[in-house]
Amino acid sequence: MILTVTGLSAVRSGRTILHPTSLDIEPRGRIGLVGASGSGKSTLGHMLIDDLNAQGHSVAHVPQSPDEALDPLRSMAFHWRETEVALGLQPGSADQAGLFRALSIEDGDIRERPWGWSRGMQQRFVIAMALISSPDLIVLDEPTSALDPVVAAATMDLLSSFLDGKDTAMILVTHDLGLAARRVDRLMVMDAGRLVEEGSTGDILEHPQTPAAKALSAHRNWMALPC
Amino acid sequence: MLKVNNLVVKRGPRVTLDDINLSLQAGETLAVVGESGAGKSTLIATILGLLKPASGEITWNGQPVCEAHPALVMQEPRAAFNPVLSLRRSVMEPIVAQGTVLGIGCLERLCARLELPSEMLDRRPNQVSIGQAQRAGILRALIAAAPLVLFDEPLSALDAVTQKHTAQLISDLQSEEGFAALIVTHDIGYAVAHADQIMVLKDGRVEETTDAQTFALNPVSPYCRALRDAAISLGALEAVT
Amino acid sequence: MIKAIGGLLLRAVVVLSGTAILTFALLWHAPGDPAQAIAMARFDALLTEDVIDQVREEVGLNANFWQAFWAWLGPLLRFDFGYSAVTGRPVWPDLWAAMTYTVPLALAGLAIGLAVSLPLAVLATKRPGGLLDRAAVGVASLGAAIPAYWLGLLLILLFAVQLRWLPAMGARTTAHAILPAVTLGLGVAASLTRIIRSGILEARGQPFLPAIQRRGVTERALARDHIAPHAAIPVVTLFGLELAFLLEGAVLVEVIFGRPGLGTFLVQAIVARDFPHVQAVVVVTALAFVVVNLLIDIIYRVIDPRIGAENA
Repeated sequence: MILTVTGLSAVRSGRTILHPTSLDIEPRGRIGLVGASGSGKSTLGHMLIDDLNAQGHSVAHVPQSPDEALDPLRSMAFHWRETEVALGLQPGSADQAGLFRALSIEDGDIRERPWGWSRGMQQRFVIAMALISSPDLIVLDEPTSALDPVVAAATMDLLSSFLDGKDTAMILVTHDLGLAARRVDRLMVMDAGRLVEEGSTGDILEHPQTPAAKALSAHRNWMALPC
Repeated sequence: MLKVNNLVVKRGPRVTLDDINLSLQAGETLAVVGESGAGKSTLIATILGLLKPASGEITWNGQPVCEAHPALVMQEPRAAFNPVLSLRRSVMEPIVAQGTVLGIGCLERLCARLELPSEMLDRRPNQVSIGQAQRAGILRALIAAAPLVLFDEPLSALDAVTQKHTAQLISDLQSEEGFAALIVTHDIGYAVAHADQIMVLKDGRVEETTDAQTFALNPVSPYCRALRDAAISLGALEAVT
Repeated sequence: MIKAIGGLLLRAVVVLSGTAILTFALLWHAPGDPAQAIAMARFDALLTEDVIDQVREEVGLNANFWQAFWAWLGPLLRFDFGYSAVTGRPVWPDLWAAMTYTVPLALAGLAIGLAVSLPLAVLATKRPGGLLDRAAVGVASLGAAIPAYWLGLLLILLFAVQLRWLPAMGARTTAHAILPAVTLGLGVAASLTRIIRSGILEARGQPFLPAIQRRGVTERALARDHIAPHAAIPVVTLFGLELAFLLEGAVLVEVIFGRPGLGTFLVQAIVARDFPHVQAVVVVTALAFVVVNLLIDIIYRVIDPRIGAENA
């Protein structure tokens, strides 16, 4: 089933931060929502989640940092149970062991509070919670920026292989076209609150049309290595 | 030249930096990379004299490093400024504090190089973009002509495009002004693209110090290879065949 | 954890002994002749030098400061408060009798304070900056600004003099306790409302709440499981200060309503320079403070174990 949102827009203190925007998300779609800071990509990400949830689709959200996802006063077990209850599941019915194994956090003690875990493990725990209900769509908001590179890369790899062959679509919200390019096959470029360009990853990397896409593409990595 | 010899730093009973040695010539760039908790920020704090080393010494041209008045560019551009003062007031603080005289045309020249219009300096930190605030931070570091500038994750608050632009400005200014730059970063791509030397810290120890080229193409230790491969996997570096 | 509690206990000992020395020194060095004051309180008549000297000898006032201090402290360590310098009766039974009036009054005041402030703060924060919120903040500020003796007199005027619903003075029946408890409770409510309100507002700003809400957690569960514990941290912290207010308020309110209790006990003792009485009140209140703050520290660590972990 194709997920569709139409006419999402946002105004904050008199300023339009998101002009009316519509988009379709195919099942199993791997989409990168890219743009400079302040381009409106995070706003669109949040509004899209709320709109699709209101339509009755199941959409999960992984914020930028685990600090924005986990209550430091509550144990991991509490967060897990709370999410199960919120999804209308019987507590303990989700395949916790399977998800933990898939994200390589099976050694974590879920009786601990978040700060008893490393940040990388916290972030993977948040991703595991997002995957409990096999959602139609998972939205990741700069999922790697709060993590060390080795951990970040491993987390993205684990998530990619978990999603392989599942119907869950993924949207990666990021300012880093280089990161998105390795993980998605379709790109949406945001600039000044508008969706200005959309196309396959290859097309936008090679033939960007708008100034925003050109800048992102030109600065997508630090260096090309002959290896 | 900055020289760090057999530096050991302890916080309580914990050794946070263990036997660090490094040297950095004027005009050169050393990138210090490693995971959070590896001791990168401790190294900066120790060079600045904010932490007392348990043993070892840090010198600039043979003198204690504090006499060279090393400058610092901080991670969070807006938080690095007093929110109620204009950027101009904050930027001028090193001149006032050190009692030095500002060279004729120095401010104008640096502002032009950093693409900061003069009226921008009359605003407060929260009235400019993060990228502009960070460029003002760089301006503050360079205004008193510090021979050694320490950068603590200078790009991590900026978006990918602004990062590359700011990094280029730092490199260009360095070749003009000739300061030595010690850059702490977790971004391997930035280190490879802009540093002469790369020092990898792991759990407070030096894992490896190599030139950037070797690090990018033929990392020696497995840990450095993992760092390099992660940078490729995250798209910070692109492997082309 | 055990180490942390040990540290807290050590701190408690330091606070207690510091308070004891300080009050003893203040009382000892206060201007005027203590022997004369004691003799006045005992015999209530024009006194000869001989009588005053006799009192001085008897109470131990011609010893030097440290001798007198140790003479008082020694029995205290065996929880023996000694004898009144004025009446010669043992201190503890009289002190205990006074406390049986004051402690229930303070607890009733606290209960009324909580019963008023908690719903008020929750209602006020439903819409921060809204009419209800501004009204609650206004009433709370007004309440904090009104001194207990004035509020007490107003309540007496209205309920005892005009309406004749409640007795004004004394402590014979439970009805006698209502006006004093309300006077005390409203003062407590005023400051607690502001503390709880800002605690809730601060908790609402926690960065993880939007994400938890997006997971589909209901408003109710969010308030109960995430906002309440975070709001409790500053409230628990400030509770120690609230206790100070409570005791000070209780002493004042007792004097206004002519109730026996620690207030009257203390005022009489100070006027008569009855060292053992004053010291006993100081030690008991200091002990109460130390115990409550110890409990607060422990509760704090239960809510947020990071606090203990950081210190370790």
